[in-house]
Amino acid sequence: MRLHLFELTLFSTYAELRAERARSYLGLLWWIIEPAMNMATYYLVFAVILKSGGPDYIAFLLIGLTLWQWFKSCVSHGGYSIWQQLPLIRQVKLPLQVFPTVQILADTVKFLCILALLLVVLWCSGYPPNIAYVGLLPVLLVEMVFVAAATYVVAAVVPLVPDLRFVIEQVLQVVMFLSGIVFSLDGVPENLRRWFVLNPIVELVDAGRGILMHGQWPNWFALGRVALISLALYAFGAFLIERLTPRYVKLPT
Amino acid sequence: MNRRGNGDASAPAGASPLIELDRIGVAFNAQLRVGSPRFWALEDVSLTLAPGDRLGVVGRNGSGKSTLLRTLAGIITPDRGRIRRAPVSCQLLSLALGFVPHLSGRDNAILSGLMLGLRRREIVARLPAILDFSELGDFFGQPISSYSTGMLMRLGFSVAIQVDPDVLLIDEVLAVGDTDFQQKSGDALRARIHGGKTIVFVSHGDAQIRQVCNRALWIEHGRSMLDGPVDDVLAAYHAAQAPAAAAASG
Repeated sequence: MRLHLFELTLFSTYAELRAERARSYLGLLWWIIEPAMNMATYYLVFAVILKSGGPDYIAFLLIGLTLWQWFKSCVSHGGYSIWQQLPLIRQVKLPLQVFPTVQILADTVKFLCILALLLVVLWCSGYPPNIAYVGLLPVLLVEMVFVAAATYVVAAVVPLVPDLRFVIEQVLQVVMFLSGIVFSLDGVPENLRRWFVLNPIVELVDAGRGILMHGQWPNWFALGRVALISLALYAFGAFLIERLTPRYVKLPT
Repeated sequence: MNRRGNGDASAPAGASPLIELDRIGVAFNAQLRVGSPRFWALEDVSLTLAPGDRLGVVGRNGSGKSTLLRTLAGIITPDRGRIRRAPVSCQLLSLALGFVPHLSGRDNAILSGLMLGLRRREIVARLPAILDFSELGDFFGQPISSYSTGMLMRLGFSVAIQVDPDVLLIDEVLAVGDTDFQQKSGDALRARIHGGKTIVFVSHGDAQIRQVCNRALWIEHGRSMLDGPVDDVLAAYHAAQAPAAAAASG
C-alpha cells in the first residue's frame, strides 16, 4: 500500500513538471528566467536606487532569494493543492497528503536546478566551494522539513477557509521582508532582534549565507532549534490533514 | 484502506455480508459560513450487501443516491449510524479521473490507473489493452488537450474498466461515447457485472435495473423506503410518484 502511494506521488510529480513544461512557450526556461527577473528587480531597488545593499550584495541577495523562493513556491502551490483537487477527492479515496507532497516535490526539483545555477554563479564570482559546504546538506534538509510543515498546515486550512487565498500572498510578502532576504537585519534594533530570530527562515538563510559566502559552519544550536520546531509543525500539519479529511468531501461544491 | 478480498461467483447461503449500513445519516454544510445549517443528505439508510449481489438503487433526484454510493465507497464518513465492512475494495466507476490536459493519453492512463489503486507495473502492463480498447491509435501519445470529447470518454472508460474492485459502484453510467463505443463499453461493463461481481448501480432507467440487478433499494429524502426484489421495489417507487405526477398535471 505504501509503495503504491509512493509510485502515485512520484508519477504525479513527473506529471506536474511535464505539464508545466507544456503549458508555456518557453517551458523549462522560465524556471531560470523568472527568478532571474525577480533578483534583478530587487538588485535595482536596493543596490542601485536605494544604495542600501552593502558589500557582497549580489551574493547576499541571490542566496536569500533562492532559499526564500523555494519556501514561497511550495507554500503557494502546495497550500492550494487540496482545495483545487476537491472534485477529485469526491470520486476516489486517497490520503490527502499526496497532493501537497507532489507540489513540494515538483517545486524542490525546480529549486535544485536553480541552486545548481546559483553555485556556479557564486564560484565564478569569487566565492569558491569550501569545506563548510558539507553543512549545506543539513541546512537544506531542515529547510525541507520546515517547508513541508508550513505547506501542510496551509493546505489543511485553505479548503475550509478559501478566503485565505487572498491573504496568503500578502502574508508571504511581509514575511519575506521580515526575514532578511533582500536587506540585512543588522539594522534592526536590539530589543526587536529577538523576535526576528524566532523566524526559522532567518536562521536558515543566515546559515546558507555563512556557508556559501564565508565558509562558516552553521550555528548548530540554532539550526537544531529550527529543526525541532519544523518537525513539530510537520506532525501537526499531517495530523490536521488527516483529521479534516472527512470534512473536505462534505464541503459545498 | 480496503484490501483486496476474493469475491465468489455464487454467494453461498449465509455468506457474511460485504458491507452493512445500519441507520446511517450523512450531513452536509449548506454554505461555507460559520454556523450555517446542515442538511441531511442521508437521514436513515440501512442495507446489507452480500457477495454477488447486484443492487439497484432508485429514487428521485436529490434523494441521496450519489451520497449513498460515496458512503459505500468509503469516501464519505457517516455522521450517524454504523458501517461494517469486510476487507474488500470498493470503487466508484470513475471516468477520466485526475486527467491532466497537457499530458499524453498514455501518461494520463498511468496517472488515472495509479489513482484508482493499481500498482505502476499493473497499469503499465495493461496499457496495450487500454490502447486497443479505446481505439485511439497514434493519438495515444498525443496530449489529451487535442482530444475530442468522445475520445476523452473512450480513454476514460478504457482505463476505468481495467480496475477490478471487489465491489463496483456505478453512478448511472453504463456506456459512453458514440454509437459504436456505446455498444462496446456497455458489453464490457455487462460482462464484468454478470461475471459474479458485487455491484451497486444507481439508475433512473427501469429497463436497465431489471436487466442488471437482482435486488433493488428505493431511497426517498435520504431514507431507505423499500429493499427487496426488483419488481416490487420499482412498483412501489412508481406508485409513490403517481399521485405527485397527477397533482402536477392536474
